[in-house]
Amino acid sequence: MKEFSYERPESLDEAIRVLAASGSDVEILAGGTDLVIAMRDRYREPTVVVDLKRIAEFYPSLVWDGDTVTLSATATMTEVVDDEGINRHFPALAEAAVVVGSVQIRNRATLLGNICNGSPAADTAPPLLVYDAIVVVAGPAGIRRVAIDDFIVGPGRTNLQDGEIAIALELTVPSRPLGSAYERMTRRRGTDLASVTLCAAVDDAGITRVAFGSVGPRAWLRVDETGVLADPDAPAEARAAVFEGIFADASPSVKSLRASPDYRRAMLRVLGARAVGRARGRLAEVRGVS
Amino acid sequence: MTSNGLVGSSPNRVGGRDRVTGAQQYVADIHLPNELHAKLVKIEEARARIISIDTTKAAQVPGVRLILTPDDLPHPMPRFGPQYQDRPVLAVGEVKYHGEPVAAVAADTREAAEEAVALVQVEYEALPGVHTIDAALDPDAPLVQDPSSRSGDPFAYSNIRTEFNFGWGDISAVEGEADYVIEREYEFPMVTHFAIEPHAFIAEPDGDELNVWSTIQHPYLLQKILAKMLDLPLSKLRIFAPDPGGGFGGKQHAKLEPLVSYMAMKAGRPVRLVMSLEETFQAVRRSSTRVRVRLGLTSEGDMVFSDIETNYLIGAYVDIADRVAGKSSYVAAGPYRIPAVKIVGRTILSNTTPTTAFRGFGVPQITWARESTLDEAALELGIDRLDIRRRNLPEKGFEFIPGDLPADGDWSQTVDKAAELIGWDTPVPEGRGRGIAIGLKSGPTTGLSYSTVRLLVDGSALIFCGTSDMGQGARTVFAQIVAQEMGIPIESINVIMGDTATVPFDQQTSASRSTVLMGTSVYRACKEIHGKVKTMAARLHGADEVDIEVDSGTVRLTGEELPIVDVVREGLGPLGGEVIGNGEMRKEKEPDHPLAGSAAFFEFNCTAIEVEVDGETGEIQIVKHVTVGDVGTALNPQQVKGQDDGAAIMGLGHTLMEVIIHDDTGRIRNLGAIDYRIPTSKDLPLELISASIENKDGPGPYGVKGISEGSLLCTAPAVGSAVRDATGLVIRDLPLTPQRVWEAMRERDRA
Repeated sequence: MKEFSYERPESLDEAIRVLAASGSDVEILAGGTDLVIAMRDRYREPTVVVDLKRIAEFYPSLVWDGDTVTLSATATMTEVVDDEGINRHFPALAEAAVVVGSVQIRNRATLLGNICNGSPAADTAPPLLVYDAIVVVAGPAGIRRVAIDDFIVGPGRTNLQDGEIAIALELTVPSRPLGSAYERMTRRRGTDLASVTLCAAVDDAGITRVAFGSVGPRAWLRVDETGVLADPDAPAEARAAVFEGIFADASPSVKSLRASPDYRRAMLRVLGARAVGRARGRLAEVRGVS
Repeated sequence: MTSNGLVGSSPNRVGGRDRVTGAQQYVADIHLPNELHAKLVKIEEARARIISIDTTKAAQVPGVRLILTPDDLPHPMPRFGPQYQDRPVLAVGEVKYHGEPVAAVAADTREAAEEAVALVQVEYEALPGVHTIDAALDPDAPLVQDPSSRSGDPFAYSNIRTEFNFGWGDISAVEGEADYVIEREYEFPMVTHFAIEPHAFIAEPDGDELNVWSTIQHPYLLQKILAKMLDLPLSKLRIFAPDPGGGFGGKQHAKLEPLVSYMAMKAGRPVRLVMSLEETFQAVRRSSTRVRVRLGLTSEGDMVFSDIETNYLIGAYVDIADRVAGKSSYVAAGPYRIPAVKIVGRTILSNTTPTTAFRGFGVPQITWARESTLDEAALELGIDRLDIRRRNLPEKGFEFIPGDLPADGDWSQTVDKAAELIGWDTPVPEGRGRGIAIGLKSGPTTGLSYSTVRLLVDGSALIFCGTSDMGQGARTVFAQIVAQEMGIPIESINVIMGDTATVPFDQQTSASRSTVLMGTSVYRACKEIHGKVKTMAARLHGADEVDIEVDSGTVRLTGEELPIVDVVREGLGPLGGEVIGNGEMRKEKEPDHPLAGSAAFFEFNCTAIEVEVDGETGEIQIVKHVTVGDVGTALNPQQVKGQDDGAAIMGLGHTLMEVIIHDDTGRIRNLGAIDYRIPTSKDLPLELISASIENKDGPGPYGVKGISEGSLLCTAPAVGSAVRDATGLVIRDLPLTPQRVWEAMRERDRA
């Protein structure tokens, strides 16, 4: 690891000032589960590291206000997994968060860090896309809110500009009953990076949202408004045709060591069907309760 | 679970608390005053001609104290190896595998060394290399080793290192008796050891002496090699070998100790080199293999002949790979009664990581091919896969390999127990499949183990022995032997290991030998103490020695039984002192034997597996995994189970997920843990049962046989068999990743 200077601002204002003064070789540290490894292996060599964990505004990290939950930049995967409201209203996010790394990793890794790291395989990206999460960004010009679909750009890239910090994620409970589920494909059952990530949500109007990752430069969100996927009795061919369209842009890398493009494409369909099936089941449960 | 630690009990592991709390000092934890940190200079090519090495910029990095290039080493370049002296201290003229060090930097800090390494400018010309069996055997293939270094060797102008020929009987004479002949080829991929503790080395010049710390399994072999290279008497070269954090064979032989020693002597300061996990991938691996099995059987399933060709793709330098190939080829036909056997084995050099000993010592690769072919034969003949094995199994005492140790166990008991535990005779649940396979490995063929036991005046004891405890629990079993023989609690025993200036010579810690060979040595040391105690008791009690028996902690005089420690305390008198016993266990070479020595024992294992295969994703779930070993005596049942469980899980690694992947030029693409996956606790079978057959019929103390490799010998064919049973798919390459199983399913569905 190369030497660097370490900043630990205690307020958001201070953080923005520190960032502005730090030039371009700056890295933001939250959980550090990606950054520290990158620095150890010397493929990121910042001159300044800005640690967000002492910023007062970020606590408590997870706050419910009515139908909206705000997860600050310090909200860990473990906090996401343990939150009752998230498990009730955003179960696919809890399912995705609980498979990130190991227990030790989840105690450090942050939900927002998972998105800012920009990995196409980020487990939490598909559910956040399906749930229409909003990323709250702070910078010298103030606060702005960005739809998650616009925030995610490509491998290692987000919509974040120089001098800005992603400070929170906001999720609002959908107004219509919704069933959702997360699926992933890995090489082993223990800690692993996914070769396919996929989240599906079915609402009571028959609209199915499918988000999937690890098969291209970023995770994508696609919506089926035909009602075919939401219909448990739809013919297999019709369902296959819809999935064909949904996954048309999947472009798994031929260079990846995790799985071949053919296998990944085939697994998109398998996991798609499984996730949609489970999502329909959950929708039925939600309806049964309400 | 504290007990007195007698033989047959499972006391708390000696050193176990320090190991699990992190208090244990591994080599990387040891820091010497004034030490320098070393880093290796490597290039990103599997084969290249080195044109020049410019260290000017690197030398300017503050804190850099030494940059060692081949020019700084003696001419000709010193070379070493346990079989052939073919491995240079640094690559000389040519890099022969990805990651071979071309130079090394030592600096005040690791960071400075890392920075300097990046600034060493190596000018080179990439050369075509060979990384597969086919490429290496191509008549036009570039030669991995210089033919001039192999004068008199008939294969010098090829990449074949050695050819082995074993067998008995005459296949052509019996071939007609076979109703059915099957011929199949199976491949086993490159895998690496992945010890959780990476290799680490420290060398410290000390006047006219040199101290070397290493994660080595065989400190005395390292001492011998370094003493020869550095022209030092053994007495001036001290090897410290702290308990390794896993070895699995990958730490048996010298790797970078010569380099670090030269650096330390040149710098006049201690030099340390701690490898990264990534670097261990470039230091050790298991030979990949292609094995062809031609098996002749009667229609009832009796084996008539076995004709086996084994090809081992080894690395650029031999290390111990020739021995691995020879020893495992020798038992390739397995534990069966076969009238005629022909085995041709071959080691093939390539521009890849040098291959070395790895738990199972070549046998898992061969067993995958043999047992799977046998399985295919059983299916085609319509014979139950368990029955075909049972009917060919030799009875105890049968010399199934003529001229070697006869079958040293009632092996049908092991097979029956495995069949019973998996429920072979019960219906297979829907969607599942079962498989069974047998593995056999020769134990050590030679050995020399000395030990000293000091029974102290207060009834405590010290054991000095040169075994390396790398997690297998050697300290505990030796302490149990002394606890048993001296009649003292295990807690009062201290086991001293890992320092060639303190403990007597031991040949090596490998081949599941230590409980049998060093165990015998320790037992004999105890017996020598028994003899001295007898003399003491005769003197104290005015008795005749012939009327006294000393055994298992007790002195038996006419009409009286006394604890050994009481007799010793009284006998030593007011000055105190101790009673010292020395032990020695030798297994000499047998010059006429094809392996220069018959097996001290066999490790015999039967593994039975039940799987569920996901028909959409190809994922395999091991529902039940049974392994049974013929252990003679479980000297410490919990450790036996621990070793068997561990080996079984390691076997699942190469069966289900592990593989080193190269690019077209031979560079390793999946260096490190991210893309080289090993099983975690979540990948365990839903149920894992490790059981033992104990008939007290081993050559070691109390009838023990060696254990610790048995349960990975046949994991792959047992899983393969179960997958075939569940899906009908025959897959002849490993690992059985979801993708590979899915591809096989897709191919079947298309057909």
